[in-house]
Amino acid sequence: MPHDPFAWAALAGAALSAPIVIWYLVRRPPLVRGTKIALLLGIGVFPILTAGTGNIAGYEATKTRRFCGSCHVMTPYARDSEDVASPSLSSRHSRNAAFGAENCYACHADYGMFGTVTTKIGGMRHVYEYLTHFRDLSVAEALPRIHLIRPFPNGNCTRCHSTEVPGWQQIGDHAGLVDELRDSAVSCVGGGCHGPAHPFSKVGREEAAP
Amino acid sequence: MRRLLRISAALTLLALALMVWSVLRPTPLPVMLAMSLGQAVGTSAFAMFGLAILFDLRRSRRIRRESLSLPPLRELLAPPERGPPEGPP
Repeated sequence: MPHDPFAWAALAGAALSAPIVIWYLVRRPPLVRGTKIALLLGIGVFPILTAGTGNIAGYEATKTRRFCGSCHVMTPYARDSEDVASPSLSSRHSRNAAFGAENCYACHADYGMFGTVTTKIGGMRHVYEYLTHFRDLSVAEALPRIHLIRPFPNGNCTRCHSTEVPGWQQIGDHAGLVDELRDSAVSCVGGGCHGPAHPFSKVGREEAAP
Repeated sequence: MRRLLRISAALTLLALALMVWSVLRPTPLPVMLAMSLGQAVGTSAFAMFGLAILFDLRRSRRIRRESLSLPPLRELLAPPERGPPEGPP
């Protein structure tokens, strides 16, 4: 059952609306003032409540790891994130309360003024890719083919890890590459540094590559 | 008009079903359907309801206007006036 209050509001709106609409369809009452008011509630007010709150609930649901992991090729990524014993970057971030169950979105979303919109457009592309290329593949077949469309931007890391605190700057690799890291010329999640974030997905990738 | 309302009611149920499906099972297909098709169907249903109410208001106004422009009942029920008596041929 949903935990989101918006989801409950959407269900309540639907529960109030449906009996009115079914009553009208079954009983076919004359179109007097009372019927019109009842239909205004059943076709207008309560469904608008359901649509508004349901959209917010749906939007919030798209940010969860459960949503990302619902495509079968993403299940190993979600499972690794949920595994508290996993040393991977994604798992460590999911254990942080600030990321929690939304750790996929927190790291992979675009930020800035239109970040939400571009993230959602990217999500639509994921659906397209899934339906056209990955739907019929097994997880083992899909893993070597799954890749980011562009290099992971360091800005998504530096949003939290600001690169400004003394502790970060005291690390030799950080101090020597600070400009390259801020410009994303060198990746935080590169092989020799902190990544890859999903190490299981890289196993055997070199052999699979042409 | 009543048919329009019935279609509107049926479409409302469809839109509600899509929205409830997406809330109870928040996976990509239900959420995408609810946010696109569900919204479109629900909005169309509400527009149809508005149209049906508008038609009903116009119809009731027309009936009222016609009833006001009718001659008084006394005149309608009065016997027809007789013309001048006909003369001898």
